[in-house]
Parts: sequence; C-alpha cells; structure tokens
Amino acid sequence: MTFRTAALVAGALGVVLLTVGLIADAQRPPTDVEAVASLDTSVVVYSPEMVEFADESRIGVDGSGEIVAMTARPVDADAWLATREATEVTGLPEWEVLSTQAYEVAEPEPTASPTTSASPSAEASPSPSPSPSASPSGEGEEAEPVDVLSQTSTDLWRQEWSGTDRVAVVASKVPDGETLVIASRDGSPLTTTDLALSREVNDGWITPLIWWGIALTVVGAVALILRFFDTRPLQAKAENWRQGRTGTGDTDADPGSRRARRASGAGLPEASLDEPASPATGATPTTGATPTTGATPVTGATPVTGGSPISGQSPVSSRSPFHPVTGGTPASAPSTGSPRSAQSPAVDEGPNNGEGGRA
Amino acid sequence: MNRRIIAIGTGASALLMLTGCVADVPEPVTEAPALEQEAALLEAQSDRIVEATMAELALADEEADADLLTDRIGGDAVTVRKAQYTLASADDGPTPVVLPAEMQAVYSVGADTWPRTLASVSQPADEDSTPVVMLWIQDDVDTDYQLRGWAHMIPGATIPAMAGTTSGAEQLTVDADGLLATPEEAISNYLELLREGEDSEFAEQFTADSYREQLFASREALTETANDAEGEYVDTIESDIDSTYVMGTADGGALVFAPVSVKSSFSVDDGIVEIAGAQQPLVDGDIEDVAVYEYRDLIVLHIPAADSDDTAGVVAADHNLIRITDS
Repeated sequence: MTFRTAALVAGALGVVLLTVGLIADAQRPPTDVEAVASLDTSVVVYSPEMVEFADESRIGVDGSGEIVAMTARPVDADAWLATREATEVTGLPEWEVLSTQAYEVAEPEPTASPTTSASPSAEASPSPSPSPSASPSGEGEEAEPVDVLSQTSTDLWRQEWSGTDRVAVVASKVPDGETLVIASRDGSPLTTTDLALSREVNDGWITPLIWWGIALTVVGAVALILRFFDTRPLQAKAENWRQGRTGTGDTDADPGSRRARRASGAGLPEASLDEPASPATGATPTTGATPTTGATPVTGATPVTGGSPISGQSPVSSRSPFHPVTGGTPASAPSTGSPRSAQSPAVDEGPNNGEGGRA
Repeated sequence: MNRRIIAIGTGASALLMLTGCVADVPEPVTEAPALEQEAALLEAQSDRIVEATMAELALADEEADADLLTDRIGGDAVTVRKAQYTLASADDGPTPVVLPAEMQAVYSVGADTWPRTLASVSQPADEDSTPVVMLWIQDDVDTDYQLRGWAHMIPGATIPAMAGTTSGAEQLTVDADGLLATPEEAISNYLELLREGEDSEFAEQFTADSYREQLFASREALTETANDAEGEYVDTIESDIDSTYVMGTADGGALVFAPVSVKSSFSVDDGIVEIAGAQQPLVDGDIEDVAVYEYRDLIVLHIPAADSDDTAGVVAADHNLIRITDS
C-alpha cells in the first residue's frame, strides 16, 4: 500500500468519523431534562420515597388559580387524602416521563380506640360546635371563590408554598419522611406535574471524534487532489533545491577549502610538543602586546608569571582538549614574543585543534 | 445504493453510540426516610393553633358572647366560658377567668390516630395566679384542634417532663398499663376520695391538693348550714371517661385530663334557698327549697410509672359553676 493509498483510506475513514460526530453532536442529549406527567385531579401527591428520589430536583405543578404545596406526616396526609381524589407520582420510568396512579391510602394498622371503656357518666356530652361551612350563595349571583383547603382543618400541614397557576418546590426543602401534597385551592383539576432533573451524558467522545474526522478528511482530500495532478516536475525542482541547500553530493566543495581538503582525505596536521613553536609573527593576527584575555581560546595558556615564556616544560599540550583551560585568567604581563604564538593560524589549520577547542 | 447504505450505516452508528451516552434513570427509592420530627404538631403548628384560639377567645370575650366560640374553642370550654360570661353580666359579677395567651410549654402527641391531644402550660396571668394548663383536642384530621378545657395549676404542683417534638408524647388510653394505676382506675379512686372525704381509704394514694381541700371545706360548711335548716347537702360527683384523655410523660408516667361533673344539692326542710346575687344569672328555674349547683370541672392528674416511688396527684384543677337548677 502506497502512501497515497493509505492517505485516501484515512480520508474515507475521516469522512465517516466526521459524519458520525456531526450527527451525534446534532442529536446530543441534553443534560437537564424535565420529566412530565399530565394530571386530571385537583390533588397530586409525592410520597416520602418519591421526594427522597427527587433529592435536589425541583418539583413543579401547573394548573389554574392558586396552587398550594403542603407537607405533612405520611399518616396525616393519608388520613386527609382518604376522602379525596388524588394522583400519586410513583416513579421515573424514562428520563422524560413521570409515572402516576390514583392515590391509594395505605392500610392503617389496627389500633385500639383510646376510649373503649364504657362511661359511667350520666352526663350528656356537650353538643358539638356548629359547622363552619358556609351556605351556598343564592341563585343568579356570582359564585364566590371556593377555598376547598380551608373548608377543613389545616392543622396537619407543616410547611406550605403557594403560587398562581404554578407552584414549584425544591425537593430538598421537604423534610425527610414527610409527604408532599399539592392541590389547587379552588378545587380545579391540575394539568401537569414535572420534575426537573440533571443527568449524566457521556458525550465527551463527540468533539474529539469530529476533530479526528476533520484531520483525516483533510489528509484524504490532499491525497485525492494530488492524484489528479502530475507533481513530478515540482518534485524534481524540490529535490534539486533540497540538494542545493543541503549539499549532500560529492561535488560542490570549493577548491582549497577545508571541506575540499577533508573530501580529498588530507591528513591531520601533527603538532609536536617537544619543539618550541616558532613564532609566526607575520601570521599572528594578534601582536604580542595584546594581553591574553579570557576570550582567547588559548590552550596551555597557563598564567604567565614574571613574563616567563611557556616552554615545553609545561605539561600543557595545546592539542589536549581536556587540559584545564586557564586562559580565562588574564596574563599578568604582556607576553610579547612569547611562544603563545602557538595560537597562530598554523594551529588553526589543524581541524582537530579547532574542534578540540570547542570540545 | 452504496451511498445510501453508508448514510444509513453512519446514522445508525451515531444513534447507536448516542444510546450509550445517557445514563440509566436512577433506581427508585423503595424505603421512606425516617421522619425527623414525629410529633403530630411541630412548634410552628402548635403556635398557630394557640394563636388562633386566643384570637377567637379574645373576640368572644370582647363581645361576652359564647356563640363566637365556634372553631377553635369547643366542648366544656364553651360551656364554662358561657357561664362566666353570664356571671359577668350581673352587677358586680366576676369577670371571666383570664387565660394567658403566652405559653411556657406546649406538648404534642406523636399519635397516628384520632382523637389527638395538645396540652400547654401558660404563663401565670398575674402574681396571684398559677399557670393555666390547657387542653386541645382534634377529633379527626378534617377538624381543627379545639380548646376543650383548662385548669389552674395546684400551688406547689409540678407538671412532669414531657416528650418533645422529636417523638411527641404518647397518646395513651384510659386503660393503659405500666402505671401505678390505669388512668380509669386512678380517676375512679380519686373521685371516690372526693365523695368520701379525707377519711377515704384512697386518701393515701394521692398527694394533697388544694382542689379537694376546698371541696371538702365547702362541703363541710354547706352541710352544716343545711343541717341548721334541717336540710341536706349532697355532692354527686361523676367522671366523663369518654371525654378523658391521657398523655404519656417522659418518665413513663401519664398525665390524665379528666372532666368531672359535680352536682351539689342544697336543700332545706322548710324555707327557700336563697341564691347569692352574683350567682343569680346562672339560675335555671324556680329555686325554692332545693338548689342544685352544677359544676363542670377539669382535673389534671399525674400518675407515675409503675416502678416509680412517686405518688399520684392532681397537678391542676378548676371548679367551674355552670348552672343552678331547682332539681
């Protein structure tokens, strides 16, 4: 398989990945969802289990008029709901759906009546207080607003929230173990109840998939384009240019240059430490009056004291690349005419010498 | 054809991958968390009840009209208050008993059934008064808690510790065991003590209290007066078990709220019983040689636990005249 074929295959794969990624991105499921159930009763109930299930989520109910959300002990809510038609939210079968059913009061455990014994009293008990219920208004008159919640006792409700046409309660606001009862104050049917939920969506792969698809598609596209053009002239030009830049051929070395000498196999110059280096005054670019400075790549430039010339007694070999470089120390005295001319260009001609200095 | 297959495959792949993107719906919670506070009424609820009761009472007191006692006050409380309004209507008649609105303690039960009780101990109305113990009853879930009675604490008596709102006090029955005596038995014995006087065999079963001391003192004085007129003085004392409620105390004892009817018949042989002017508004009928004073009292009786070394005793009681008849 040639490079071009591999690129084309990669491009085809890239198109597939890109397409899948874009479709997935367009269909990416939302993190925040709202589970909904429709209602047809004026009362909806969230049991303590369902409230616990909702956790930090928001429970909402829509209807018309004032809607009141109340909490009570489960036994009290059961007793209150026993004579009322209500819908209970029972679960979350799907992320967007709440399941409901007609509320059924839990069977109470049989308990003894607190006053089962016969009374020896002959005293009649006082008559009960009159009913607080109001009589209906006369015919033809506009009906007064009905408040079905206040027609009976409200002593059982521990907490209350209310709203017009909608009431929403964060489930965590409902104390543990309490039942949440939501009812329309005028007795009109509620329309919907919803539970706002946040869910985990594992969509971290979509964006990388898209970028990988783009990259591979570009590679394939380039390979495809190049397939329709004869690029050999350009390749030749590029090759020549590259050779011209890199000089990798066995020609082109300037005559007399070091490269030419190296190419011709010229031997390395040998430097003898036994013979004093002859001053090459004429060729020395620096005069003896020039103080040696640290900038001078002098090897064997042992600090000169008292103007003593460096002789062969010195263990320093200018060829030794490992000799401690002391040239950094300025000479204490000018070394005019000193054999320091070992730094002469003659030395410089030895490529190893120069390389040793760089080592 | 190939393009169609590729397109379908690509779309199906994307959808297939997306189905794995969303976590499954959470598992349902199958067990309800425990109630943090099991009392039938929390402090905020009982405060609302007390406040509504006192508002209704204040309105009725202002009008001196017991018919205004409808929602939050009922039973014997209405009967007694109506008699007090009647007495107050007479010249120099006594003013109705002051029921302080400020409470120093409120006790709710943790019962799951009805009727349920709510008791409170008020602040003293003044320096000369003792705190008032009040009793509310809720007959069922659809009716309000109603103030059904009250009684001033016996001087020196102590209300035992009661459970708080975390669990609520236990709603006991009149035949509850685990006590020195069942509430019904204790009431029966105490009423027998009231009938027989200090020499009763039950006198040792109960600590001394000013309620029975005053009853005995009054009986002695009126008996002597009746005897002087060759008449008779008889107390008829009956309990009302149906309207008796029992709350458990924190130490395993019980606090019994027992309505008691007392009829004191005063007769003379030849002559007419003269009713005091302040009591005239309560006279029902023509009083001649017999006058029957009817009282509706509330006795609050503390019964210690069976293993306790304490003695049962009345901690609060009021003697409320409600009517005077001729028979």
